[in-house]
Amino acid sequence: MVVGDVTTGTELLVIGGGPGGYVAAIRGAQLGLDTTLVERDAYGGTCLNHGCIPSKALISASDVAHDARQAESMGVFADPAVDMAGMTEWKDGVVTRLTRGVESLCESAGVNLIEGTAEFVDDETVRVAHGGEGQGSESLSFEHAVVATGSRPMEVPGFEFDGEHILSSKDALALESVPEKLLVVGAGYIGMELSTVFAKLGAEVTVVEMLDDVLPGYEDDIEAVVRERAEDLGIDFNFGEAADDWEQTDEGIRVQTVDADEEITEYNAEKCLVAVGREPVTDTLALENVDLQTDEDGFLPTDDQCRTAFESVFAVGDVAGEPMLAHKAMAEGEVAAQASAGEPAAFDHQAIPAAVFTDPEIATVGMTESEAEAAGFDPVVGQMPFRANGRALTVNEREGFVRIVADADDEFLLGAQIVGPEASELIAELGLGIEMGARLEDIAGTIHTHPTLSEAVHEAAAAARGEAVHTR
Amino acid sequence: MFEFKLPDLGEGVAEGEVLAWHVSPGDAVTEDQVLAEVETDKAAVDVPSPVDGVVQERHAEVGEMVQTGEVLVTIAEERDAEASEADGTEDGTTSEAAESDGSAQAATSAADGRVFASPSVRRLARERGVDIAAIDGSGPGGRVTEADVESATAATDETDDTDDGPTSVVSKVSDDDDGGPTAVVSRVDDEGDADDGTAVKSAVRSVSGDGQQTERRDQTLATPATRKVARELGVDIDAVPTDQTRDGQPYVDEGAVRAYAEAQEAAQAADAEAVSAEGGAASAVATGDAADAAAAGAGTETTPVETSEGERREPYRGVRRSIGEQMARSRREVPHATHHDRVVVSGLVEARQRLEPLAEERGVDLTYTPFVVKCVAAALEQHPILNTALDTENEEIVYRDARNIGVATATDHGLVVPVVDDVDGKGLLELAGEINDLVARARSRDIERSEMQGGTFTVTNFGAIGGEYASPIINVPETAILGIGALKERPVAENGEVLAKPTLPLSLAIDHRVIDGADAARFVNTLKAYLADPTRLLLE
Repeated sequence: MVVGDVTTGTELLVIGGGPGGYVAAIRGAQLGLDTTLVERDAYGGTCLNHGCIPSKALISASDVAHDARQAESMGVFADPAVDMAGMTEWKDGVVTRLTRGVESLCESAGVNLIEGTAEFVDDETVRVAHGGEGQGSESLSFEHAVVATGSRPMEVPGFEFDGEHILSSKDALALESVPEKLLVVGAGYIGMELSTVFAKLGAEVTVVEMLDDVLPGYEDDIEAVVRERAEDLGIDFNFGEAADDWEQTDEGIRVQTVDADEEITEYNAEKCLVAVGREPVTDTLALENVDLQTDEDGFLPTDDQCRTAFESVFAVGDVAGEPMLAHKAMAEGEVAAQASAGEPAAFDHQAIPAAVFTDPEIATVGMTESEAEAAGFDPVVGQMPFRANGRALTVNEREGFVRIVADADDEFLLGAQIVGPEASELIAELGLGIEMGARLEDIAGTIHTHPTLSEAVHEAAAAARGEAVHTR
Repeated sequence: MFEFKLPDLGEGVAEGEVLAWHVSPGDAVTEDQVLAEVETDKAAVDVPSPVDGVVQERHAEVGEMVQTGEVLVTIAEERDAEASEADGTEDGTTSEAAESDGSAQAATSAADGRVFASPSVRRLARERGVDIAAIDGSGPGGRVTEADVESATAATDETDDTDDGPTSVVSKVSDDDDGGPTAVVSRVDDEGDADDGTAVKSAVRSVSGDGQQTERRDQTLATPATRKVARELGVDIDAVPTDQTRDGQPYVDEGAVRAYAEAQEAAQAADAEAVSAEGGAASAVATGDAADAAAAGAGTETTPVETSEGERREPYRGVRRSIGEQMARSRREVPHATHHDRVVVSGLVEARQRLEPLAEERGVDLTYTPFVVKCVAAALEQHPILNTALDTENEEIVYRDARNIGVATATDHGLVVPVVDDVDGKGLLELAGEINDLVARARSRDIERSEMQGGTFTVTNFGAIGGEYASPIINVPETAILGIGALKERPVAENGEVLAKPTLPLSLAIDHRVIDGADAARFVNTLKAYLADPTRLLLE
């Protein structure tokens, strides 16, 4: 039965407690707004519970095992055993620590936390349905609302996630044992990261991809480094094939793919991971009650203050459009909170970095050379291979490079691409440089610690100016 | 060569005496560095340099009087070498930006319209409402800097400004209110409160304004002797405003410490007085109507500065500014909450009708005001939380024993708040006589400063002019103010019928830091009971 539905008021209502939502809520509370955060599942959203954090935990753990096995050239011989259940338990510990942290940060900032699913009643009220059936609901009126409902893994028709045979990325991160044979549908960044993890943990991994290469959207010389390493790990790639059908067999499953010529291929596997992308979550919101329309890709269009077509309703993070990245969500959450509090905030960031935690890592920020050309710049490019970097060799890594794109005339940084060890960390310096309007000389004129991987950044900037010392 | 003329020091000051020079010929100075200390008859003011350059000549000795507009000092600007038309421009930044290499324009209008500027500079531009894409950056490669945004802002703000002189001290002060760098240290003169209240007000202004008081450094360079003086005077040396630096660190000398201590003292005194008026330095309570009336009055004191098509400009000075600043301070510091209510006052009307002829016999004009004041005092007795002051310095709520009620009065020369002391101890007639006398003398400016001080609660009767409800502004450090709307017949629903009855709308604003809404409502309920039937006053 429905217990009393009393409308309470809040100045800032945040729907969804992922990176975009919890940042908006905490910032809003810090700015003195009476703030309420509604979360239906787990604080921290996909990022902390089913995405970035658990996947990185498993990547690190699988690296430990893999690196130990591969250290013979360094004079180390080992054959570590992997207890997948133990690894998962450790990973869950990391997740719990972080999600509790988010919850307590919200609480200490004075954010009211409500568990449930919020849907719009009108443009100033939502109804929050609590938990399961019969748990009742409550109404909340708001002055400003921030929609931060995130995204969920996309399904392929006929391959509905069942958690047992057909896995979403979320399911794959919670496995109790390493599947003997794993079929991965999709060679985007999620497919590549998880393929790498399971290959390193000893699974026989096969990847089918509809397009003709891995990591669509990345430049050829970048994805080639990653693909080569993946093939070294024993991952088998099959391009130009689309998952078509599957059936259960005695040993597991048999998946059927079809290519452009209608040719059918069959793969036997224990499990199939479908990682073909993510779609925004808006169907829980009853958007029709506020007459808010999503665009053709299902996103809520927003302006540079993250406002939707309704001035009092903001949207941040995955639900507000590409790129679906936690750090973009956080930055937008902050803007939305500040704008709600009447501050002249705007999402005017010059570049949003992105990292792929494959082996080796990829990280990019700003424009590629061809994007810079398309934008009307006359770009100059500087590149430094890690094979010429002392620190890279000492971590037993020789592949990859740092590439910096700048304007040829005034040397402003326009973008950077890194593939190689710790690329995800190295990109931060270049992101700062781009945001600050730094020029090649600013990077080249900054002393970088020796011996570190960051020297490759320095050297790439110098190379773009024709002043490289360590490369030809 | 830049001829720095003594800028307008505000308050219609025409001249100043050079108290001390802080620079000598040959010294390099930077923008905002203090050049000299100049004392007017109202305050001592540090005069900052509007430009970067090297001091060439001082045109007055210590002790000499300098007229506003006379050349005080000449400074060779850094860019003199390259630009000969230097004199006419406001400051270096704008023209430098224009002169920097051609790539500036190329960069800012580059390709996809990207602007090269740091996040902090982009935020500043948003805050100032300046289109950053339209700014020509003066940084390397045309990068837009903070200074570029500042000068673009100034350019936007000053399009009407025909003043070809240096940036005036007054405008620098208003910059300070935005949290900008400390530019002018205005200080209180010892004798400042002698005759002219406005002088005190203006001198105190920049010190009591939040900009400087709250601006505290992590580190300050000072000699041991200066530190000793600071300790003795109880001054936090990191809070002393300064424009001086040594080795790139903020530097404070003994004079600055003493000045700051005096200013602090004066600011506190001003806070304690809150309500002060002398020569029209009326202070602060107001309702829309009263403020308007005061505005009209204040306007008569000032002279139009400039008239251009479709507008007339008057200096924002004197009483008008004193009122404005007091209002702004109250609004800025005090979280106001206003409680509105309406009371049927048949009993009050009846009582006044009955007593009016008796009062007349004794030569007293009995208005409603003494009744209201009396009822307010009685209600305050039962709700002492509304008769408080907030002492933010010591973080204490001060309960006042006496109930001294301020009566906000619109006069031709501005808003004045005479205070009726010890309302409880006075009879209605005595009160009526006293209020009439105070108001009359406030209007004729024949009122003592002490008669406007010591209030514990203020009543503003804007309804005398017209209107029902308002959101009165609290007369800090008091914590509440009662606005009275017009007394007239209004429809009242009683026992299922609508009747016309004399009613009085009440608007009580409270300082929500000290008083909660429930307190306000209870106070108003008590007050309503007295107003509805003033004979209840006899019970107490």
